[in-house]
Amino acid sequence: MGVITTAAVVLIALLAGAALTAVLERVFVRAGWEAGPAQTADIRHDLEIANSDRWLLPAGPLVALAGVSLATIVVPFGPGLVGRDLGIGVFYVIVVIDFVVLGIALAGWAANTTDSIEACYRIIAQLAAYVVPLGFAYVGVIMMAGSLSTVAIVGAQHDLWFVIVQPLGFVLYIVTGLMQSCRAPFLEPFAASIGGGVIGVSAGWSALLWRFVLSGVLFLVAAIGAVLYLGGPNGPLLPGWAWMLIKSYGLMALMLGLGRCVRPLSTAQMLALSWKVFIPLGLLNVLLVGVLILLGTGPSRP
Amino acid sequence: MTASFEIIAFSISAFVAVAGALGMATTMSMFRSGIFLMASFIGVAGLFILLAADLMGVLQIMMYIGGFLVMILFMIMVMHDPGGAMMAGMDMSLIERWFSKGLVPRAPPDGNDDGQMHHRGHKQANSARKQHAQENGRDPEKRGPGHHGGKGGSGMQAGGASHGGMDMGGMDMSMVTPVRPIAAWLAGAVGLLLVGMLVLRPNWRFVEALPDPDSARRVGHLLMEKYMIAFEGAGFLILIGIFGSVLLARPSSYPDESSRAARVAVDAGPEPIRDEGLRPLAEQSPASALRSDRRHSDEHGA
Repeated sequence: MGVITTAAVVLIALLAGAALTAVLERVFVRAGWEAGPAQTADIRHDLEIANSDRWLLPAGPLVALAGVSLATIVVPFGPGLVGRDLGIGVFYVIVVIDFVVLGIALAGWAANTTDSIEACYRIIAQLAAYVVPLGFAYVGVIMMAGSLSTVAIVGAQHDLWFVIVQPLGFVLYIVTGLMQSCRAPFLEPFAASIGGGVIGVSAGWSALLWRFVLSGVLFLVAAIGAVLYLGGPNGPLLPGWAWMLIKSYGLMALMLGLGRCVRPLSTAQMLALSWKVFIPLGLLNVLLVGVLILLGTGPSRP
Repeated sequence: MTASFEIIAFSISAFVAVAGALGMATTMSMFRSGIFLMASFIGVAGLFILLAADLMGVLQIMMYIGGFLVMILFMIMVMHDPGGAMMAGMDMSLIERWFSKGLVPRAPPDGNDDGQMHHRGHKQANSARKQHAQENGRDPEKRGPGHHGGKGGSGMQAGGASHGGMDMGGMDMSMVTPVRPIAAWLAGAVGLLLVGMLVLRPNWRFVEALPDPDSARRVGHLLMEKYMIAFEGAGFLILIGIFGSVLLARPSSYPDESSRAARVAVDAGPEPIRDEGLRPLAEQSPASALRSDRRHSDEHGA
């Protein structure tokens, strides 16, 4: 029963995320600026790439999909509606989403064209850019909740959402979440100038899987953001899962809309922004949260 | 149920760990080598998780995915043949051939005229075989072991008849070094020793206590209380290391003004990626490396 529920939640979440992403991609279009990972791949035909590595190329989307599905397990979609409440919950999410980067790097290298190998380099640079500030965006919440478990973090926000206490951490999370999901200002690994990166060299089932994975990552980032900063499934009147979905999709729309307001950044600019601005901001956020905890703000601690 | 699940999980993790290590040592592609090592460590992480040390396991995955992707980038920068394209055509032992499956061999760039004539002949043979294989619905790269030695060796052998199973004409280009048998024996002996230690088990003490489900909290308290000096000291050392590398990488650290200006000029206008001159053996048009398989649409069009 638990397994079936988990599988159904994973599937429904991924499907809803994919559908909503498709809608948003059409609403938030701005002329001249790239919209997001290219949707130009041909799903109906297969693509044979000369000189590709025939073992690593299909492994890429599968590894990425495994990362997304594994991470969805710890997301609490409602009271009791969580795949598994791991003691290391949010840390597990940070780690498991890295498999998406691994998958993109694998497929990019294995396709063995100039553009796809460029995409492989760019996604690794993106990983080096987002991992540390993303960690800081999580650390503030973890400090205040006193636990890594997603359910415990949701329980700690019963009275007050963390977005009110830590607005700086929330901004940090939105920016690093956009980096993590390769959306609007940070879409260099999928830029049109390199033919869409790994999407440009995929077709058929792998293109379908890439679309699924990229939408799933965006949904996952939004859902974890809702858990970390917006109180997860807490809310009046409506059932928990409805609140969770509303918050996730709201955060997703906010991220995509804010991302479209900024000129797309190159990989070097993104790295500079991340290491020169957001890591110091993250340290400042940790300091502020420490002061707030000492002042007695946040949930009552054991 | 639980016991059999544990055995299955252990077998999979152990197999991934051992096979990954074996693949790392025997594959011809350096990129694959890094990926195999990553897989091996992820298998070890699975073993950690089986031992209820989930924090250690997830930490291991995080370190090795992020760290190895960056390490692979550095390796690609300095290696002569990171994709194994030249090594893949050489005389390989059975296990090397297995772990290098799917790599497309290419001729080295300094092939003379004779080699190129050979090369063209191979091109035709290759495309003909590919066609044949496609008709049969088989993998076009699947070939007998006899064909293997002749294929990639054609470029570097001046005028030799390329028949299967030839030696490399005095050039020992294979990966078999004289040390390898000794290393294999040593590895076998160590493995035997470890298994023997397990079988002839000394009087290990068994404890009935269950592991702490929230091990992260325990580890965190240990790091921040008992071992704080060592932990912070290690962090400080790493910080000094980062400062040092940033200082060394700065353009201003160049000895004189002219070399600094040259470095800044390179940074401002990076040199475009040049074609390295490796000619693919597989048939393809130089304009586009991709060839879409549109047989369906062609059929409809006709």
